[in-house]
Order: sequence, then C-alpha cells, then structure tokens
Amino acid sequence: MNKRAARAIITKDIKAISSNVQLWLPMMIIPLMFSIVLPLAVVLPARFYEMDKIGNIDPIRKLFSQLPPGTLRETIFSFDGINQQVIFFIVNYFFAPFFLLIPLMAASVIGANSFAGEKERKTLETLLFTPLELETLFGAKILAAFLPAIFLTLVCSFLYGIVVNIAAYPLFHRFIFPQGNWLLLLLWVTPAVSLGAVLVNVFISAKVKGFQEAYQLGCLVILPILGIFIAQMTGILLVNSLFLCWFGAAVLVIDFFALKACSRFLNRNQLFTSQVS
Amino acid sequence: MICLEQVAKSFSGVPVISDLSFTVRKGEILGFLGPNGSGKTTTIRLLNGVITADAGQITVAGFDPVTAGNEVRKRCGVLTESAALYGQMTALENLLFFAELYGVSEPKARAEELLATCGLRDARHKKVAVFSTGMKKRLGIAKALLHQPEILFLDEPTTGLDPEGAKSLIHYIKELNRTCGVTILLATHQLKQVEELCHRFLFLDHGRLLEIGTFNELAEKYLTAVSIKVETDLEIAGPEFKGFQLENKFPGYLQFKVERKEEIPILLKELLAVGPVYSSVILGRDLETLYFRLKEEKA
Repeated sequence: MNKRAARAIITKDIKAISSNVQLWLPMMIIPLMFSIVLPLAVVLPARFYEMDKIGNIDPIRKLFSQLPPGTLRETIFSFDGINQQVIFFIVNYFFAPFFLLIPLMAASVIGANSFAGEKERKTLETLLFTPLELETLFGAKILAAFLPAIFLTLVCSFLYGIVVNIAAYPLFHRFIFPQGNWLLLLLWVTPAVSLGAVLVNVFISAKVKGFQEAYQLGCLVILPILGIFIAQMTGILLVNSLFLCWFGAAVLVIDFFALKACSRFLNRNQLFTSQVS
Repeated sequence: MICLEQVAKSFSGVPVISDLSFTVRKGEILGFLGPNGSGKTTTIRLLNGVITADAGQITVAGFDPVTAGNEVRKRCGVLTESAALYGQMTALENLLFFAELYGVSEPKARAEELLATCGLRDARHKKVAVFSTGMKKRLGIAKALLHQPEILFLDEPTTGLDPEGAKSLIHYIKELNRTCGVTILLATHQLKQVEELCHRFLFLDHGRLLEIGTFNELAEKYLTAVSIKVETDLEIAGPEFKGFQLENKFPGYLQFKVERKEEIPILLKELLAVGPVYSSVILGRDLETLYFRLKEEKA
C-alpha cells in the first residue's frame, strides 16, 4: 500500500465528513442520545422512584431469576433492592447493543459515501487516472470510514461512563461501569463489527451509482444488532463476555469473506464499468 | 509516443470504438476531433488503462496501459471534461491532494508554481465550488501537470469557456508544448479554436477513424475547390470574369470560385490589371469546412 497516497485519501475523506453538516449531524445525534440522554432518562427515575411501588415489575424479576449462575447473577443479587439491580443490569448489559449500533451507523454512512460519493462528485474517474494502486484506494476508503466509527464509539462510551457513574453514584456509592464485558465489547467486538459494516458498505458503494442507494442498502447491516437487542430484552440472550468473545470471532470470519469479496473489485475496468459508465 | 493498432471497444454490445489505428509522435499536438459520442473520451480512457480494449494493441510511452497501467499513468496527465475537482477543498488543497497521489516531491512548491502559472495564485485559498468554469479548467490543467507528464490528454478543454478564456487556454497549451515538449492529445469538437494549435488532426466518427494528417495534407486532398473574397471597386457583369466563376457579389466585394488554390494568384493578377484590389480572403479553407467535406465524402 502506498502510505503517502493512503494518508492523503483518508485525510481528505475525513475532512469531507467533518465539513458536511448533513452527513455528521445525524451521525452524532443518535450516539449522543445513546450515551447521554437515554442513560439519564433511565438511571435518574430509577434512583428517585421505588420500583416496587410502580408495579408490573415481575417480568424484570423473572429475567433476573433466569440469569445463569455466575458473576453477573451473584452481583445482581448482592444488591439490596430492585432499583440497584435494575440500574446495574441496564447500565452494563441492556445498553451494550446500543454501542454496537453506534459504529455500525457511522460506518454505514461514511462507507456508503466512499465510492458512491466520488461518483456523485465525478471525481472517481480522476482517481482512476492517477497511478494509484487500487489496493491503496480501497484500503484508504475502508480506513477512512473505520477510524471515525471507532473514534466515535470510544468517545461515546467514555461519555456514557461518566454520565452513568455520576448519575448512579448516590445509589451505589461506587462506580458501577464498566464491567469486563464492556472492555470486550469496545476492544474486540466493536472493531470487528465496524470493519464488517465498512466492508459491506464500501462493497455496496462500489456497486451502486449514488450515495442514497448505497446508504439504504448498507443500513441493512444494522438488522442483526437489532436482533441481539430484542433477544436480550426478551431474555433469550445475554450480552455477556462469553457471547461477546464468540460474536466478535464470528464477525471477524465474516469480515474475512467480505474482504475477499471486495478484493474482486480491485480492477479499474470493473470499477469504472460499475461507477462511471 | 502513442500507438494504437486495430483497437475495438464496446459497451453492452454497442461498439464505441472500431478498428482504430493511429500514432502520435513525441512532442506533437494531435487534434482529436469528432462529434459528441464519437469515441474520443473512450479512447483517452483506453490509453490510460482505465478501461480495457476488446481487441487490438495499445502502447503509451512504451508501456501497455493494461499490464503496466501505473507506468503509463505516471507519465500522463489528464484533464477530463468536467475537470473533476473537489468543490469543498480550496485550489491549493486540491493540488496538494493530487500531488500526494502522484508522489510529487516538494508538493507545496510545485502546487504554488502551477497556481501562479495558471493565473490562480490569488484564488488559491478559495473553495473550488465557487470557481468559474474557466478557473476550474485552469486548475484542472494545473492538476494534470503536477507530476510533469510527458503526455497530456485534454478532453474538451475549452468547453464552457468564454472566447477570452478559451484563447488564453489555447495559448497556454501551445506554450507548454513549445517550452516543455509535452506530447498532447487534444480531444474537442470546437474546431475553430484548435485550428492553429495542432500539428496534425485526426477525425473520428462513430468510433471509426475518418482521416488523419496535417491541415495542408488534408486540405490538398479534400478542399480542392476554394472560394476567394476580394475587396475591390470593380463592377463585373455576368457570371464570369476572364474564365473565373463569379460566385457572389456584395457592395465593394466580389466572391470567386477557383478549382485549385494555384489559380488564386492568376485571378488576382487579372483583377489588378483592370482595377484596384484592397484585400483578399480565402473562404472555405478551414478546419470546419474540411470536417464537413470529410464527413460528406466518407458517409
């Protein structure tokens, strides 16, 4: 890979995102909701109102009673009341899939814009006229979407940590976030999922002719994560460390095949035919 | 410098280039002429290895654009019809970006030098989105020249330019060829603008080569009969003057048709013998007339 050219493309693409409010604003609003607004909306009421008195708390008690033996179950039942149990569970487990959605959404928007955006600006052909190896072009486009997605997720996780620890501190008198599963989530699963989303979106972006088309198709990568979210809510699945280890590994295998599929496009004639003509 | 032999290319079964063979010599400016859709842009893409030919052989600067595409692209600069620049970046940022892709040493100095040469020094920190068409074209040329290419492909460089902008661009291209010896393939359908610029002309129609040669070679072949407009006070009655066919009359002007250009001095001598001749202009001996005559003959 031509590092000098790759750095130039990555810098240009990231600057293009940061200078395009229509692109980055929607990408920021939802992550900020996930990391600040929603946690506060859940933790603060749980701190001030007795859940026992609200009623209809049985499904949550049932969910906790179905937890498999282990650290999580022991930790949950070590708390005095249902309020602490619910806050701890929500903060460390319920919100986890949201933080898979953040890199996915960011990677989808940026990835979809990569080749399709060049096509819309009529600049792809100019890039193809330069002595740039297509490996460098693809690699740079992938990194230009991957790096902001990871950065955004880490920043949001950091904000989330500050918000939930401050909001929940009066109830627990200690920091309850992060647990081990979050380190796995952020350092193992998020990069794998982001890479997958970027590869799928760059692949789609190289096939279609416009950003809208690429974005609409690329957003389909969010569906499996929504599935995980629903599965956890209904008690079918628990996003614990073991699940995250296997899930991250499975996504990496998928990434490998997606990378192979993308490499089939490393041909100017084919890329031109799908993009310019 | 550039050689094509029996090249063919089609898209979705529709032939765009058929049996195209020609060469461009080192240091030459070849006018690559033809109407829209005649295959000019496709040929430039083929020559740069952006697309592959269905048949035939192509060599550019001694390299095959398909198997050694990057060697070709390192030696070639291309100005596409739309100039294809990043609107949200400034002129300087655009040049610096492309300088990185071409591996230019001292990119800042080279970019500044080209901005000055192309008359864009004062606009170097302005976003390209606010540039006029002429400024974009000039910046596009600067971009194509960043890596000091041996060959320059200019695709419709004067389209969208006002007469002044077109004239200045043509002058710049001429100077570039004269001072740096850059080989230039200039694709256009603006015949009048490139008449005095190109060393040779290639006429393309529906992807087929109609003719190639210098203007004089082609004019000798296709523009045998010419019209001459003479400024004079003479009054001539009848359709002929001393055996020369009188085509038209205007106040103060007479227009004759001669079968060969060698007859022009004889006609002028005869006219001068009977009255004053203030000026004379040959009509119909230009690139545009040549183009239409060629199309008629080859149709």
